[in-house]
Amino acid sequence: MKTEMPLSKPIRRFLSQTEEMLGTEISLLRQPDADPGGTLVDVYTYDIEKNVNVIIFPAQYVGLLKDFIIAKQCTNLLIKGAASKKGKYQVLSYTEDSVYRGMRQIYLDALKDEAKKENRLPVQKLIQMLFILFTHFNDDLNEVPWNAIVNASVYHRMPKIRKTQLYHVMKESKNDMDEMMEQETIIPRRYFVLNKAMFYARDMFLAKTLPADELMPVLNIPQMKKFNHLEVKEMLTTRWTHTAWYQSKVFGDTMLEIVDRHLDRAEWNAEPTLDHYFELYQLGVNLTNHLVSYMTMKDWFVWEEPRRLIAAHKEKEEYEKVALKKIFGDLLGDS
Amino acid sequence: MALQEAVELLKKGRAYAQRTKFREAFAYYNKALSLDPKNPEGWYLRASALIETGNNEEALADCDKALALNQNYAEAWSKKGLALFNLERFEEAVLASTRATSLNANDAMAWYIKGVCLDELGKSDEAQEAYGKSLELEIILDMDAERKKIQRLG
Repeated sequence: MKTEMPLSKPIRRFLSQTEEMLGTEISLLRQPDADPGGTLVDVYTYDIEKNVNVIIFPAQYVGLLKDFIIAKQCTNLLIKGAASKKGKYQVLSYTEDSVYRGMRQIYLDALKDEAKKENRLPVQKLIQMLFILFTHFNDDLNEVPWNAIVNASVYHRMPKIRKTQLYHVMKESKNDMDEMMEQETIIPRRYFVLNKAMFYARDMFLAKTLPADELMPVLNIPQMKKFNHLEVKEMLTTRWTHTAWYQSKVFGDTMLEIVDRHLDRAEWNAEPTLDHYFELYQLGVNLTNHLVSYMTMKDWFVWEEPRRLIAAHKEKEEYEKVALKKIFGDLLGDS
Repeated sequence: MALQEAVELLKKGRAYAQRTKFREAFAYYNKALSLDPKNPEGWYLRASALIETGNNEEALADCDKALALNQNYAEAWSKKGLALFNLERFEEAVLASTRATSLNANDAMAWYIKGVCLDELGKSDEAQEAYGKSLELEIILDMDAERKKIQRLG
């Protein structure tokens, strides 16, 4: 562990255990403009010469806010590392063909929506939206199921930072809820709802997992006062019922059932061995597959080694071009 | 004149330290301290850089120099607490952090160091109280930063 910064005792212990279990090193890095949820640059995803993983977090997080990010990213690392050590670590990626299938489906759905609209979307904007939306779902599917698993795991393993966890969960939920809001009128309704439903299911699962009595802050924060005497579930549900997209809840409830069905099998308090983290990895893969299937996106994505996803990101402009050519043929100019 | 020059040198040193260019930062701090050794801020800033580079014993000595010049220098007490924590002198670190928080109750880092050290000393309940205070301050700062960011983005 390479750090000069103070860390609380359970976090120091967890960092050492993670390093020991995976036979790797973890370095901590403060950055002023880091993602509020922290970033993990790990040896299982990226080609890093030295066997050093880096956890990056906002420089202004000096205390427990930083500790929670470290706990969360260590858990992420353990899940990835456990799967990698068994030669099974894969992520949801895409190929030239799968991009075409996904974009074509989005296009067909968009056409249906556009036909009902008074103010139709300019064709150029519609074309641009196809691939953006496709990759958006790829990103979210590589994030949301794991976020639920990691949060549940940290909750059970790190009781001392639960209040901090509540703050992070609430903040993340708010940010995720705001995602895509600006594109509300552009995106086909089905995808807007599915995207929101996925986050709804994650939030509701966490609301059940993180019991309010333990989490309710004894903090005296004016901004949090309005949440006093409310349960976490109420806090999160209240928000969802206030969104313009209440129908997300209908889809979200089904997704929540899927999440529950998979994650109820997890033994969160099992001995923290590599096998345990590999089981969490498998749960995540199965859960993702089920969500993908529910959203009828099965032929949009493929499970591949992380380096293939990185390579796909590099090729994405080409993939998009080929898909557009297949969808629109000669109707599309070279521009 | 020399005093004004020392202040300018400290500013430059601080700018380098913020970019983690500590070699340059030390050069400016050392020069500033040779011109004006009676400015506690100079000792405090050099102590901060020394901690960042893992030189906790020297940092502790600089904190003490700053505090000899100004006993009520909250930030110096806070840094002293951090240096003592890094040196695993937990009881002294609790005393320094407590002094820091009594001078500036809004120092999230001092509350956190106090919590960590109390935890190390097996005083779990007191530690939770200090952690709670630290978290409260961090959340308020974070919410303010978020609000400013939203305002900036229009």
